[in-house]
Amino acid sequence: MNAKLMIWLSVILSAVAQLLLKQGLNQVRGRNGAGSSPMALIFAVATQVWVWLWGACFVFATALWLLGLQKLDLSYAYPLLSVGYILVNVLSAIFFNERVDRMRWIAVAVISVGVVLIAGS
Amino acid sequence: MESQTDNMAILERTISAPASIGVVGMLRTLIGRWWVAFALSSVCVVSGHLMIKAGLNAVPKLVEASLAARILHVLTQPEVLIGLLVYLFGTACWMIAVSQKEISFLYPLSSVNYVLVVVASAMLFAEAIPVRRAAGVLLIVAGMFLLNRKSRSLA
Repeated sequence: MNAKLMIWLSVILSAVAQLLLKQGLNQVRGRNGAGSSPMALIFAVATQVWVWLWGACFVFATALWLLGLQKLDLSYAYPLLSVGYILVNVLSAIFFNERVDRMRWIAVAVISVGVVLIAGS
Repeated sequence: MESQTDNMAILERTISAPASIGVVGMLRTLIGRWWVAFALSSVCVVSGHLMIKAGLNAVPKLVEASLAARILHVLTQPEVLIGLLVYLFGTACWMIAVSQKEISFLYPLSSVNYVLVVVASAMLFAEAIPVRRAAGVLLIVAGMFLLNRKSRSLA
């Protein structure tokens, strides 16, 4: 697999991982009230399918990051992590119906232009 | 930054709580201040990534090997492993910082990591930084400052 493709996949997987974790924690919060004991909460988090998916994505993302970074500049790959901010905003607007105001869309656009510049550098 | 009374209160807490006497207690008190936790997270996240890259540069590349074998190969490089741990510790510090101060305030500040990583890569690994890349990083920093303006009321 091409090194650039690995870095892009890694960055996308990390962003998806954050959303999976958020989904898992949302469900835990929905099923466990404020009165739950810490042990019950830890058990609830550890047995969540979404949390396990998060872990799997996290491991894959890290492995792809290491392999891709072997061949690429760190100054190229690292700023691409900001793709995460773009994806988290777009995907949480779609899947969690979170309100994203205009200023945030402008910010997402500015970051996107930055990412495109780095990708072409 | 902190007022005198805050310092006194922290000092008193440190002295009066038996569990927090000594070096561990002092560290716990220190990391309880958002800016200490934030600075520590930046230093660890940036130096963790630099160590990982230094390790990857040092290890010979396996050409004819499976994906799994190549991953194991880089993970057995001590610098890579230590770098990963330092980075994870930095992430833990970030979470501590976020628990003390609004994330909308901390996110833009954390964009300093991008600048530090790029500057350090140029200095330590002699990476050439094209104008496009530098401009891209500056736009990302600007975007992160915009990201959390006027969004404070939104969770």
